[in-house]
Amino acid sequence: MSEGLLRTTLPDRAGAALRDTFLQQALTIATTKFIDLRRESFEGFPQGEALRDRARAIKEATLQHLDVHLERLADNVERLGGTVHWAATAEEAREIVLRLARDRGVRMAVKSKSMATEEIDLNEALEHAGVTPVETDLGEYIIQLAHEKPSHIIAPAIHKTKGQVAELFSRELGGRFEADPEVLTAVARRALRQKFLEADMGITGANFAVADTGTVVLVTNEGNGRMVTSLPRIHVALMGIEKVIPSMSDLVVFLAILARSATGQKLSSYTTLVRGPRRAGELEGPEEFHLILLDNGRARQIASTLREALYCLRCGACLNVCPVYRQIGGHAYGYTYPGPIGILLTAMLKGNESVRELAHASSLCGACKDVCPVRIDIPRMLVELREHLDREKIAPWSERVVFHAFRRLLLSPAAFRLSARAGRWLQRPFVRAGRLRGLPLLLGRWTRTRDLPPVAARTFRELWKELR
Amino acid sequence: MAGRAEFLERIRREVAKTPGLFGASTAPRPPRPAAAAEAIRRELAERWPQALDRFRQEFERVAGVFHRVPDLAAVPDTIAAIARERGARRLVTWDPAILGFDAGARLAADGCAVVAARAGQEDEASRLRHRADAAAAQLGVTGADLVLAETGTLILLSGAGRPRSTSLLPDVHVAVFGRDRLLESLEQVGVMLEDLHVDPDAAMSGAMINFITGPSRTADIELTLTRGVHGPKEVHAVFVEAP
Repeated sequence: MSEGLLRTTLPDRAGAALRDTFLQQALTIATTKFIDLRRESFEGFPQGEALRDRARAIKEATLQHLDVHLERLADNVERLGGTVHWAATAEEAREIVLRLARDRGVRMAVKSKSMATEEIDLNEALEHAGVTPVETDLGEYIIQLAHEKPSHIIAPAIHKTKGQVAELFSRELGGRFEADPEVLTAVARRALRQKFLEADMGITGANFAVADTGTVVLVTNEGNGRMVTSLPRIHVALMGIEKVIPSMSDLVVFLAILARSATGQKLSSYTTLVRGPRRAGELEGPEEFHLILLDNGRARQIASTLREALYCLRCGACLNVCPVYRQIGGHAYGYTYPGPIGILLTAMLKGNESVRELAHASSLCGACKDVCPVRIDIPRMLVELREHLDREKIAPWSERVVFHAFRRLLLSPAAFRLSARAGRWLQRPFVRAGRLRGLPLLLGRWTRTRDLPPVAARTFRELWKELR
Repeated sequence: MAGRAEFLERIRREVAKTPGLFGASTAPRPPRPAAAAEAIRRELAERWPQALDRFRQEFERVAGVFHRVPDLAAVPDTIAAIARERGARRLVTWDPAILGFDAGARLAADGCAVVAARAGQEDEASRLRHRADAAAAQLGVTGADLVLAETGTLILLSGAGRPRSTSLLPDVHVAVFGRDRLLESLEQVGVMLEDLHVDPDAAMSGAMINFITGPSRTADIELTLTRGVHGPKEVHAVFVEAP
């Protein structure tokens, strides 16, 4: 059930993605569009830069006293009549949801998009227990019907064509539907409206939780977040412990930059602030509200390498600008969280072993850090992660040997000079069209997918000597 | 299963490893939210026309439809016109006592069925009836507790006589507001939210606050923008000039 370590290799998965011509086209269009929308929205927003600094400072300060903020959040949620659950692991979180569902005779649960529930593989667990989970975000609904996994944090179904969606809906929902997004959206609206009204339980994640007031905040565009928190008799919210923020004054700082970073909107269509179960006098709203606080590997990073990854807002901006993500898409990463931040989150949640290959799926260009609304230094952490993999001997031996040799070479001017000369001579049979091609052994695997420039006819050091 | 104490102890241990490493601060908070909120209201009492212009501009940018009427008495006619144009025959509204107008009679004259929520109704039978009415309605009428100009956002508090679904289930949502609801910036919204939570039991009767910025939308199929995926396909804002 849990994804554990993958059986396929990253090069296999990346290769499959590169051969998928529709995926290639969809990725280019989607990521380019998101980049443009984000840039335009920040261009007309001069205070944006200061707000990003402020948002980062809030995350730093909150983490510094995370225990205090979580206690305050829990106390306030309980004061409002909600129940707080503490889940140290994914398994515990699943158990809590399943027990709630079992005890209350839940047959169907409607879900609004939540990466945290993906992270704990909640849907499979619910199905096993005889509860039907229904994803209600349109993209997630498509993915669920197709039995696939999301390929982008905020646009989970960008890898599917409208033709594929029409076929899928026709087969799964009964009917003949035209391959028109407008028509297909209307089809999903009708099918899901019924589910919202019938479901016993609504399951959400949380974009933020305000400690001061006991408020869980959901940001959506479709309105499904509002449906699942208003109509079913039970609302269960699952959140990573790093989502807590101190106050409403902090919340508005994040709101000002979250949607801009994700979709270029000033605000998403709906920002929903939930303060416990429905109150006396209210006609609607859940009778029960449960908040599950999930650790699952987060706490141990508070004082460790991946600390900054705990600032992440899950906006997806770093995916769109990443030259690796833009080529291989989300599935090739193999885990719940794709893209540059996804590598760090995977290491956090599943351990360093799980990113043995992924830690290298970055050119360290730094574009991710530039667009991150809270300026997470992803490249620095990736480098540190690579260092860990080497030190813990998780990296393959060949890689360790090559890099250690390379290090030696760079540290000794004489060895470097000598190797340049030797290289010029050794490379002769492999230089084609100004590039090294078809190198033997391990080096061949490198040059198969990468351009390696040959050693120059005259090295910089030689030219420098002449010039002087 | 780990209990709260154990869970928090683990975090406390980790937090203790990083004393003073990060000298960061959280956002500045108004020391006296009520006074800060009052100061903003006073400023807006002067500047509301500019805020209204900005709101209209931003609201229309997110596909909202803006209307302006001289007073509350003119509101039912505007709603009737929207209902006629959209072919809506069944309407739900917030409690007329909260809205300050009752569109029932005017719409009944057009042959529309209007069901108004009433504060004080909360027994199981009214609950079920209300849900059926809201699910069948094509148009929902609400107020707006705060109106944010810089993003074109309507902010609605749920509560007695102000159901959450009135602005969610019908295809068309109409929100009616006056000048005293206008704010310029998210920062001001932050102050108002702080103020509301000083004594939430007194300030709010419900458990939910919704920020609504245009109609429900998605771009999940080939990035084609489509409106009305789960929530309303259309949002109308009716501004009432008379203070």
